[in-house]
Amino acid sequence: MAVNGEQKRTSRNQKIPLADSNGQNMATLLSPGFKSAAAMAGWDEEALLLASLIVEDTPDRDSKHKKRSLLNSKSPATNSSRKRRARRTPQQPIPVILDLDSEETPRKESGRKKKEKKACVNNEGSKVGGDGNEWKEKNARVPSSSSALPCIDKLRDELSCAICLEICFEPSTTPCGHSFCKKCLRSAADKCGKKCPKCRQLISHGRSCTVNTVLWNTIQLLFPQEIEARKAAGSLNGRHQAQNLSPETAFYANLRNTKTQPSSVASSRNMNSRRSVATTSTQVDGDDALARRLQREIDEQSPGTTRTRVHTGRVRERRGVSTSQDEDAALALRLQREEFIQAFRRGSNQEQGVRLPSSSLANLRAMASRAMNPRTSDRRR
Amino acid sequence: MMISGGGGKSSWSSSTSSWVPTTSVSASGKRIQREMVELNNDSPPDCSAGPKGDNLYHWIATIIGTPGTPYQGGIFFLDIKFPSDYPFKPPQVVFKTRIYHCNVDSEGLVSMGILKDDWSPALTITKVLLAVRSIFTNPDHYNAVVPGIAHLYSGDRAKHDDIAAEWTVRFAK
Repeated sequence: MAVNGEQKRTSRNQKIPLADSNGQNMATLLSPGFKSAAAMAGWDEEALLLASLIVEDTPDRDSKHKKRSLLNSKSPATNSSRKRRARRTPQQPIPVILDLDSEETPRKESGRKKKEKKACVNNEGSKVGGDGNEWKEKNARVPSSSSALPCIDKLRDELSCAICLEICFEPSTTPCGHSFCKKCLRSAADKCGKKCPKCRQLISHGRSCTVNTVLWNTIQLLFPQEIEARKAAGSLNGRHQAQNLSPETAFYANLRNTKTQPSSVASSRNMNSRRSVATTSTQVDGDDALARRLQREIDEQSPGTTRTRVHTGRVRERRGVSTSQDEDAALALRLQREEFIQAFRRGSNQEQGVRLPSSSLANLRAMASRAMNPRTSDRRR
Repeated sequence: MMISGGGGKSSWSSSTSSWVPTTSVSASGKRIQREMVELNNDSPPDCSAGPKGDNLYHWIATIIGTPGTPYQGGIFFLDIKFPSDYPFKPPQVVFKTRIYHCNVDSEGLVSMGILKDDWSPALTITKVLLAVRSIFTNPDHYNAVVPGIAHLYSGDRAKHDDIAAEWTVRFAK
């Protein structure tokens, strides 16, 4: 038996290099369904290959078992030991391992998992079919990490507020289980009676809506761009309401706001350059418009940064309001915007493949802009 | 259908201020734009709708008479006007094509629960159009605005259908 096993092992070891090249071809021949199933079971590429080799080598069951047990019991110093180790260790962190370079991925991943769970809760029936797809897609996505989720449109529909038809912003869930933006739900309760807009059940607490935290976090993870844009728009509206301005001053306020907006858009672009392949035509249009606007602004202030101060001063004069705080805030915003313009320019100059700005840097910038925005709006008031 | 408002521009001005920024659109405008995109992507069967001109708040819609009803083969034009606090208030739907129907008054105003007290902000124009289309097949003669037609509908259905078909031929073709 021992001799027999030895023979078998050696024969197998000889076979490996040969079969390996075969295996490369075979890996491509494996059906995607099988691959996704394997991924779900936590097998990596190598384990898959090994498994396929074993299957190919041994048509009958008995010898397979023998072979496997033999392989496992001894520890030959061959290259196959590496493979076995790889196989025995649990393989769950595949995507993380392969994606160490982008620190966004783990967050995204966990968000997606959460999402998946939620989707299943929401409508078990329709989501089951999409699950396999998603796994397959995830696997395909990991190396390139450029394409979006296939069911992102479904998710978008699912996570949209029925009142404003956009992604729920600070979602609030009614006792009957329907979620809307907190603001939307509140105005619906005010203007249309305290009934759920979807099922007309009575909402007892129309006034004190609470944000569904899990849902809100999920949404923020899944649609950071939309949320960012909406936040910017929200602060814009807030300022409008707070100021209650005459049209002329409102114009200048708006001028500033439109300047802050592209920066935040740019930041989210940087952050999500990898995942933003959700190419709707409107988005492309928006990008074009953004690029054009940024270009115009760059042309406008080409002499250098010193001019920004002059410019803000001019704006201040025109507005007839002079507070040093205001100027500070405006200057900070401008500098920040310039930075973004540069980043944007760099990004657009390069080809799609090499997206330079590291995501951590982009993160920092986004945080800065977020910290900046509330402060400025406070000062404005 | 002509679509002109995709660029985020709204020429409509609210009742409170005469000046509307071109970059920011009000919540109602945004929602209407969304609905427009949605309608463009998949419009309900036999229906179409879109802004009349560059005014986002004034739409025109068409519904093709459902086969198997006296309105079969007719093309009915409707005017849809969105209030400034849409979607919290229902849109106003008016038939521009004359129609013999117990839920449509002589001015063409459609009388339906969901366009009045039963309105919900979760309803969209798509759903409204579907609801309008459904009263072609099932007139709500219990809540009629033209009692005569409702009476005829419940009393002498054949005659009602004849007249409705005649009107369809005369006005909607």
